[in-house]
Amino acid sequence: MRPLRAWLRRLGGSLFASRREREMADEFAAHLQLHIDDNVRAGMAPAEARRQALLKFGAVEAIKEQYRDRAAFAALTRLRQDVRFALRLLRKAPAFSATAIVTIALAVGVNAAIFTVLNAAALQSLPVPGGDRLVTVTFSSEGGPRRPVAGMRSMLSFKELQLLRDQTPAFEGVTGFSPFNGATLGGAEPRAIQATLASCEYFDVLRVSAALGRTFRSTDCERGGVPSVVISDGLWRSAFSADPAIVNRTIDINRSPFVVIGVAAPGFTGTQLLHEEAFVPVVFQKQLSRDLTLLDNDDISWLYVIGRLRDDASVASARANLDLVAARLTATAPAGRVVRLGAARTTLAGLPEIRSMLLAVGAAIVAAVTLVLLIACANIANLLLARAAARTKEIAVRLALGAGRGRLVQQLLTESLMLAAIGGTAGWLIGAWVSAALVRFALAHLPPGVSPIVFEPHADATVAAYAFALTTATGIAFGLAPALQATRGARLEFRESTTTDRPGARRLQSALVTVQVAVSLILLLSAGLLARGLYRANTIDPGIAVDGVSIVAYDLRGAGYSRDAAIAFQRQAQERLRALPGVRTVAEAGGVPLSDQHAETRFSLPGTERSLYIEFSQVGPEYFDAVGIPVVRGRVFTAADVASEQAIIVTESTARRLWPGRDPLAQSLVLDQVNRPVVGVVADVQVSRLGQTDSPYVFLPAGPDSQDGMRMLVAAAPGAVTARALRDAVAALDPQLAVSVARLSDNLELWRAPSRLLSAMAACLALLALVLACTGVFGTVAYAVSRRVREIGIRMALGAEQRDVLGLMVRQGLRPVVVGIAIGIAGTAAVSRVFVNMLFGLSPHDPLSFVLVPAALLLMALVACYIPARRALRVEPSSTLRTE
Amino acid sequence: MTADRAEVWQGTLALMILKTLETLGPLHGYGIARRIEQTSGDRLNVNYGTIYPALLKLEQEGYVDAEWGVSDNNRRAKFYRLTRAGRKQVEKETREWERTTAIVARFLAPGEGA
Repeated sequence: MRPLRAWLRRLGGSLFASRREREMADEFAAHLQLHIDDNVRAGMAPAEARRQALLKFGAVEAIKEQYRDRAAFAALTRLRQDVRFALRLLRKAPAFSATAIVTIALAVGVNAAIFTVLNAAALQSLPVPGGDRLVTVTFSSEGGPRRPVAGMRSMLSFKELQLLRDQTPAFEGVTGFSPFNGATLGGAEPRAIQATLASCEYFDVLRVSAALGRTFRSTDCERGGVPSVVISDGLWRSAFSADPAIVNRTIDINRSPFVVIGVAAPGFTGTQLLHEEAFVPVVFQKQLSRDLTLLDNDDISWLYVIGRLRDDASVASARANLDLVAARLTATAPAGRVVRLGAARTTLAGLPEIRSMLLAVGAAIVAAVTLVLLIACANIANLLLARAAARTKEIAVRLALGAGRGRLVQQLLTESLMLAAIGGTAGWLIGAWVSAALVRFALAHLPPGVSPIVFEPHADATVAAYAFALTTATGIAFGLAPALQATRGARLEFRESTTTDRPGARRLQSALVTVQVAVSLILLLSAGLLARGLYRANTIDPGIAVDGVSIVAYDLRGAGYSRDAAIAFQRQAQERLRALPGVRTVAEAGGVPLSDQHAETRFSLPGTERSLYIEFSQVGPEYFDAVGIPVVRGRVFTAADVASEQAIIVTESTARRLWPGRDPLAQSLVLDQVNRPVVGVVADVQVSRLGQTDSPYVFLPAGPDSQDGMRMLVAAAPGAVTARALRDAVAALDPQLAVSVARLSDNLELWRAPSRLLSAMAACLALLALVLACTGVFGTVAYAVSRRVREIGIRMALGAEQRDVLGLMVRQGLRPVVVGIAIGIAGTAAVSRVFVNMLFGLSPHDPLSFVLVPAALLLMALVACYIPARRALRVEPSSTLRTE
Repeated sequence: MTADRAEVWQGTLALMILKTLETLGPLHGYGIARRIEQTSGDRLNVNYGTIYPALLKLEQEGYVDAEWGVSDNNRRAKFYRLTRAGRKQVEKETREWERTTAIVARFLAPGEGA
């Protein structure tokens, strides 16, 4: 305790040095005065009294020094000196300081911005009271039969949720819910909403209260009870004009009556990135989606599970509980399956599926911005090296006067850390602004049809700590090597000439240039590839006719249509749409081209057991005509095929892959134990992925059993029919149905938007990298040349041609650049596979990019070498020799 | 004074200061130095200034408090006062000192315990 107290007070002493200094002087003066008084009283003359008192006191300065050492920490005092000295130096070289600070600010800023976004999605807890005590429980299994999924693979079934709720004492509450059930809110103007099926504990576990009415009670969650719903504040305002009498009103969701029992607190939009607008007790799953039986299916993944930790519990104790539950689940699971339950703090991206995707994207972006930071560090290190050379004399003098090398390195490091601190602070501010702008930009450029996303990342202590660590690391990264370099052998330098080149420093500089060039080439090449990919996405011919094709979509399943009602509805809808003036043809499709509606299912070849997972879509006979897919062999579906559902059409490359060298029309595929003969072969087209034609794809007839899931593709002459007319044609059949109309060409946007976003960002980063690398090369060569003016002078005096000397300088300047370019090309070739999806058929080793971009960089470097070398040659040789 | 003796001096000086303050009550640095010299019968001849770093250390450790005040002959001076922790420390250090000196004395006494 005592040492700590003394330590703290010494720390205080370090901070208030001037006050302590005054007090010490006062006290010593008072002491002497008392002594003098005594001496005078004892009969001494005043002058003698003073002399004796001073003698008795001892060496005043030595005691003061002792006192100061005791009062404060010597190291802290030295630090203050260093900081003051560093600030003075930074002020004296404003151009250098400004360059360095701006460079660091940009690099740290971009880094902090990206981290802010990742932090908000993957690290920050949910914005609900006590959100840091929430834990997401995830399911995973190994072996055994494949488990069906209605949501995501890591979700749990209702029975598993109940078991877990009773057997995890570490949780004070557990809730399971199924977010994002697309539903239709009935009324005068039906609208599509996102409904969440939630277990009774949902609002208690999340600690969200009702602004109006109440949240779930156990009576709301009894099977066979009156279906109830809690709506979000947003839905209450937009759909019910903030009606204060909403509670106890019956509303219509997916054609079922639900009694509104409450409105959730404002700002609560569920636990996901997308807005959730209505919360229905999980026991009414059937009312929301009639065709799915989830509640009583004990082996299906459909519930996202969140638990709230007891005050005395930790994630570790929850995991221990969950291990026991998992063992119990394994015991009752189908033979061969081992169940595992995981637990992790709940974040926006809570499920492993979302988190790993986010982290993969995030890691790529962080890698890119870290590369920029690296270039920036190399640049400043280079500047510092050049400056250290100019300060060789100062450093030599200080070493000669007895300063330790460690002390000097500390001083030089303080300077770089000061630079880093100023730049880092500015960067942090930039980062906060950039992250907000970045998210706004990204959200504003979402493809049409994507639900609005709620995501407002804000910086917190984690971000601040990250920025601080980054800044410190930056300061040391660019400061340490030059500081060590500058103090090495400086003693020698003092005696010798101060304008010759030092090989150690030059090697270090060359290495830095190599790193810079390599790193910026990786960024430039990636940006170049992405830009080429974007160009391709914008000009690519998808192989299908998208112009003039509209998609008319509605959810018959959600609206509660029976099989027969759906068949009747679809027949009438097709007739009505076909009757519209200007419409060429109307076709049914389960998965619309270039959408995300393509499913994969298990086929097999007759007589074999091997599973083939192939993407497919169920389509009507008119489909191929509507979107312009040429039939290469055989025929399209007939009415008989549709009725029996026993025919199949494959693409050319599918046929080639499955039956090489054989007649595809004589083949068949097995699905659900039924042999389905191939009746036609169509041209390879990009129906499921833009830019990709050779992945296997099959078409199945849109039979009577799947009529409730079909969308309508309406082909018309461009501009012949309006969206309104299409909507009204279908809505007239059922005014309670929410009908959406979109253009098929909008789906292209779905593919272009991410690559546009990414290539825009990559281009910005690459530009920054290019500027940094060029200034780096320029600075290094300029510096090297300036250090060798004398050598140049001698060479010229001995009769060297200007051209030869120029060639020598440029060659030496370019050597590290060429090495860097080689490394950069190799590096990009190794990593470019990562964004092969964004290239739309372009090779990740696209020769055009791999030749043009390095050539451009080389040209820039050549210019950066040439200009300073040229300048050095203008100097009169004799004058450079005379200066020494 | 060599380094070794300085250390001993610093250690014993702290105890002497504390004991002085315990006996005489609040006192300024000059008074303390004066008193220590007198108590030692003028056998301890050290510079008065060395007392100040020692006083500062005691203050940092919380054994003494310091406050500016006015001396008997109307001079401004910084007065040191024993704190409660200081009082305990005097007892503790006195005990320890006695034990140490007793042990050392035994070692130095000729023939004893052999």
